[in-house]
Amino acid sequence: MVVELVPQYVPYFFQSMYTPALYGGLIVAFIALIGIAIQKKDIHILILTDLVGLAMLIVVAAVGTDLAEALVLPGLVVELAEIMAISEILISREMRKIGPKKSFMPSEMTLDMEIMTTAPNFIALVLIAYGAFLTGFTGGAVAGGGIILYALSRKARGLPIFVIDGVGGISGIAWCLWIIGFVLFFAVPQYWLLSLFLAALGLFLKVASKMGLIGILMREEFNKK
Amino acid sequence: MLNLTLWFYAGLLLAIFGSIATVWGPGVEDPVVRTINTEVAGIGVSLILLTYNYTLALLTLTATTVVCTLILLRAITRLEEIGADV
Repeated sequence: MVVELVPQYVPYFFQSMYTPALYGGLIVAFIALIGIAIQKKDIHILILTDLVGLAMLIVVAAVGTDLAEALVLPGLVVELAEIMAISEILISREMRKIGPKKSFMPSEMTLDMEIMTTAPNFIALVLIAYGAFLTGFTGGAVAGGGIILYALSRKARGLPIFVIDGVGGISGIAWCLWIIGFVLFFAVPQYWLLSLFLAALGLFLKVASKMGLIGILMREEFNKK
Repeated sequence: MLNLTLWFYAGLLLAIFGSIATVWGPGVEDPVVRTINTEVAGIGVSLILLTYNYTLALLTLTATTVVCTLILLRAITRLEEIGADV
């Protein structure tokens, strides 16, 4: 039935998988939404939202062309930012609800593993180099993973506030690069390669620096000494 | 044995069973268990993306899943520390 809507240049193999993929995605979404409906606690609902995102991925992937891949990438990164924001809101709301009786400072927690003192330099270097090679959303996510690993496992604490401001500034400039690239793409189409690289490197810097901030946040949280 | 359809349906089944395990599985009252059960469905989606040849999407999914799990675990431990009902 729905198979007629798929363009003709999609391989027959992907076309034959369209209906099962669509129904599978809808089943996963249905199960996750039932779970959200019967759940009372906020943090459980947040975890189940992750599952709805996975169902969205299956439905989008069923299209079977490059368009699907182009839609999956920003979907994933936006979902990440959304989960981060909602978890922060949840924490601050619970703090407000419980009131000032409790200590808001997180308690000490030692995360002392041998691999976290020897491996991070090399693994972070490889991940950042590979991310810079990939560029765009994917490169930002991969390089950001490397920065998170490095920031989480290094012992040095107490990052000065201007470093955090600086990372935010890099992120803003990268956003401007992306917008300039996008405008140039329509204004002077003959420089398409320049605008493509402006957009790709802007997105790479933006996503990677945002994830680096997550890594610093985590270290403040878990690596208390 | 290397029929692509097999991997596609394996991914679909993993995604469905993983979501059932996340919603009604044993011990999901603990939010940490629920978060880890989500990974089963994530592996299923990875298999589906692999069948469709979406290399970049697969890489991004792997990277963001790791970060998502970190963020959720941080939120859970923080909520338990301040004594909220999780």
